[in-house]
Amino acid sequence: MIDSGGSQDAVRIERTFDAPVDLIWQMWTDPEHFAAWYGPAGATMPVAEMDVRVGGTRLVCIKVTTPNGPMQMWFTGEYREVIANKRLVYTESMSNENGDIIAPSDMGMPSGHPTTTEVRVELEVLGGRTKMVMTHIGIPADSPGAVGWAMAIDKLAAHIDTQR
Amino acid sequence: MTTTVDNENRLSETFAALANPTRRAILAHLARDEATVNELAAPFELTLPAISKHIKALERAGLVTRGHLAQYRPCALDASPLAEVATWAEQYRPVWEARFDRMDDYLGRLRSQRVTEGHDD
Repeated sequence: MIDSGGSQDAVRIERTFDAPVDLIWQMWTDPEHFAAWYGPAGATMPVAEMDVRVGGTRLVCIKVTTPNGPMQMWFTGEYREVIANKRLVYTESMSNENGDIIAPSDMGMPSGHPTTTEVRVELEVLGGRTKMVMTHIGIPADSPGAVGWAMAIDKLAAHIDTQR
Repeated sequence: MTTTVDNENRLSETFAALANPTRRAILAHLARDEATVNELAAPFELTLPAISKHIKALERAGLVTRGHLAQYRPCALDASPLAEVATWAEQYRPVWEARFDRMDDYLGRLRSQRVTEGHDD
């Protein structure tokens, strides 16, 4: 294995932008900048929370207009690594507006889509330009960490219910 | 570890099989209906042995199965190896590419805004 994140189920994209590194960092960490590019065309993105520090939470909403009317999707996650202008790692899961994680299958997503994924952004200064490497990785449901704990607590709760 | 290597080998076979236009045309035919080797050969100016070779490559990749009982051993499509080519992560690639195109446009707008503001100073 190349990486503890798993090499198979990941998408890696490398881009070089004609902008200084601190501006690219803001693209990911400043709610106003983030909302300007992240959502699809025509979508609005009210960002509820972007607490960019290790252990800080994020909660973003994407509002899109569909032929069946407006639709809202919420995504939550946690910042895992925050090294300004260098490296940003955060998790992402579908959620409700309170940040409670919802399983992808409950949202009508095809099977095989992990409940929690991790986005890694690595920045490198190239003169006045910035090289950005983004890796989006699926976290196996049985891995340790927040998801593992959440599942364990869910199981415990279910277990306590059956004992009553 | 062995599983990963097996998966990768199978993926390589799948991609190799898909890399050829004749084989993709054969798959497109089979996606509509199963067919005999003769029927598959009809649209191409190829000999039967040449078509058989393509079908064998598709069989190795697990994309085509052949009937054992029927006299003409019709070929049928098995699309399941294709599901691995399009994992959830690969489905996200165009989403991210489009996002970064928008980021690039947005950076361009910010830059021209700054230039304009610079002139105002």
